[in-house]
Amino acid sequence: MLFNSLDFAIFLPLVFILYWFVTSRSLKLQNILIVVASYIFYGWWDYRFLALIVISTLVDYSIGKQLEKTEDKRHRKLLLWGSLFTNLGLLGFFKYYNFFVDNFVEAFTFFGSEIQPNTLNIILPVGISFYTFQTLSYTIDVYRKKIQPTQSLIQFAAFVAFFPQLVAGPIERAKNLLPQFIKQRKFNSVQAISGFYLIVWGLFKKVVIADNCAFFVNQIFDNPTGYSSAELFLGAILFGFQIYGDFSGYSDIAIGVARLFGFNLMTNFSFPYFTRDIAEFWRRWHISLSTWFRDYLYIPLGGSRGSKMNQIRNVFIVFLVSGFWHGANWTFIIWGVIHALMFLPLLLFKVNRTYIDSSKLVLNEIPKLLLTFILVSLAWIYFRADTLTIANDYVMNIFKLSDGSLSLFFKTSKSILFTAIIGFSILIMLIFELISVQNERKEVILNTYSSLFIMLLIVFMGVFKNPSDFIYFQF
Amino acid sequence: MKLFFKKIGGVLIVFLVLTFLLSIGSLWSLRKSSFYKPSFLVNAVETSKFDYIILGASTGLTTLDTKQIDSILELTGINLSMDDTGIPSQYLMLKHFLAEGKTTRYCIIAPGVSSYNAQNEKLSDNDYRFLMFTNRDYVHDYYKGFEDTEAKILSYSKHAPFIGVSFYNAELFYPSLLTLLQPDKRNRFDNKGNYTYPVFQRNNDSIRFEKELKLAFRSPYLAKIKTLCDQNNIQLICYISPMEGTKVNITNSNYKSIDHSQIIKNKKYFYDKDHVNSLGRIQASKAFAQILKEVMTLETYVNKNGD
Repeated sequence: MLFNSLDFAIFLPLVFILYWFVTSRSLKLQNILIVVASYIFYGWWDYRFLALIVISTLVDYSIGKQLEKTEDKRHRKLLLWGSLFTNLGLLGFFKYYNFFVDNFVEAFTFFGSEIQPNTLNIILPVGISFYTFQTLSYTIDVYRKKIQPTQSLIQFAAFVAFFPQLVAGPIERAKNLLPQFIKQRKFNSVQAISGFYLIVWGLFKKVVIADNCAFFVNQIFDNPTGYSSAELFLGAILFGFQIYGDFSGYSDIAIGVARLFGFNLMTNFSFPYFTRDIAEFWRRWHISLSTWFRDYLYIPLGGSRGSKMNQIRNVFIVFLVSGFWHGANWTFIIWGVIHALMFLPLLLFKVNRTYIDSSKLVLNEIPKLLLTFILVSLAWIYFRADTLTIANDYVMNIFKLSDGSLSLFFKTSKSILFTAIIGFSILIMLIFELISVQNERKEVILNTYSSLFIMLLIVFMGVFKNPSDFIYFQF
Repeated sequence: MKLFFKKIGGVLIVFLVLTFLLSIGSLWSLRKSSFYKPSFLVNAVETSKFDYIILGASTGLTTLDTKQIDSILELTGINLSMDDTGIPSQYLMLKHFLAEGKTTRYCIIAPGVSSYNAQNEKLSDNDYRFLMFTNRDYVHDYYKGFEDTEAKILSYSKHAPFIGVSFYNAELFYPSLLTLLQPDKRNRFDNKGNYTYPVFQRNNDSIRFEKELKLAFRSPYLAKIKTLCDQNNIQLICYISPMEGTKVNITNSNYKSIDHSQIIKNKKYFYDKDHVNSLGRIQASKAFAQILKEVMTLETYVNKNGD
């Protein structure tokens, strides 16, 4: 079920009413309702993949309980490996099997041996990368004795499958989300109102910004050789806005919906295009994933401690894995490498924490802001292109500076209209975000009037006829 | 809870009222304009007695030039074709034409050729262009007659116009703003309803008609058009426009037809496989005028002397 669909517009109020008016007296019933609603929400795509969520839930719930019972280090480690094997095994099979087989075959062919590829027609279950990481964080935290394992299967199932963030995050930590399923929820009007406004803001970013940008981005990336350097450059910039509108819009809706049910989810995006270097960008882009990798990969590897070589190695591993997490394609891996290369100088010169204290901008920081944005946008080309060759050609054609024509954006009355809508809506978004940045807020806060304005923009500028799927569903 | 419902309820009510008013205004503006063919017919076409009308898709729109045909035959015709439409839309356009109190002796149907055989008709891509007249029963009934989501959206828009206006915002809302400033602006057609494709550099090659298409005129909406024409004393003619390489074999003699699928034999007259360019339009319109003259002469003779 998509957040921007009619199905969800019916589903959400229905679950809301059942949750607050029918099951509100019993915590257990509320949690059961969340599990059932979440399974319906997920099963709307493909009910067969519900089995994977159930397996993941049962395995990690049982392992959590076993970990509580034993102090034996070897046994505990074995249990942890059991969870890692199951979760990463499912993820690996569904997401990476064909990638490894294809590359294995190519490597053999390169060395002169012909072997027949044995790829499978595997459908990637929606959201598998997200809920796998969420359940893993639970088991690892129980193993590290940072949290107590839950005694209730219902609570744990609700934690794993909580529908607002099930398919595209934020990837919640058990430490933050699980306790919220244990305590009685009381309706908080202020929290729910802020949730509603956040849903409106998220929908604006998705339906108006991302889906309108897709109109040009899809044309350009479908045939990059057919466009001028200027058009290609703008195509990369627009994809930057598309993916931001799409993914952060989804996160905002998820956080907003969770607030309607009395839950607080972590912030996932904190104005990443108002950042002054790559390190700051990564502190504010997909925060739930970045911090996941920091806590469960970077720090265990040694983090920024140790020799320079170790630091470089750790950064590379984290960015490579992060790229690979997004998809089974070399383009994502190269995207990760590019970010590692942009991040490393900051780390080596110990300036990666320059902007950690304040997000507030001053006027003379605008060049840094633009530079960071352009670098990030150019790296997005590798993220969006279907193959490395296409991405390389795309970048080469930008730097050929062959032609400054922007005719694509003004060719027909339709393209002029889309150009105007995109320009205006991005400007509105940047103004709202800049105000939030300067006030050091974590999110855009709307009021009655601004929410009305944004809702009108959604209705009259949004794409409803051929909406695009959320990009991050494929991850 | 009270605070939440009061606040959000208030926002939603104001929002609904505003979208309702803006949508009504948008449709009103389009209804008073000449932007799309349905309102063009109502607001910009003063003639009420026509010798012939052309109802079609992009083929009808770009092949038969009513200005040229009128000047050859000294008749009064109009092209009411709309691109990306099928025979159901042409049925709706005929109803709309008649509802305006206008009459015609001949109705020339010129859809995309495959539309003649289509039995499971769907709502056409551009049927939203009638939305400003959704309060008229024949328009609403037409939308209600289809099952697809778009048809439901258009049908519900009779009572909640913001549904249709927001779904088709690029096609309805923004043109309505434009028509507020320029009420006489037309969406790519001249004052007689015609449009033409430009001439691109194409090879001066003769065409070989290797593909054959059997036409059985199975479309249920074509039957509806025939009934409507009979009821209003209109002669229905099915026109098959020139095609690049496809000839037509008509297997149903219940409909009068003009088969011009092979009339143009050189590629330079085509814009693409299904559409002629402005040079091809001159050829096709001339040939059509010739045939129409013969049809009219024959009819006059029959009326005078009997069968």
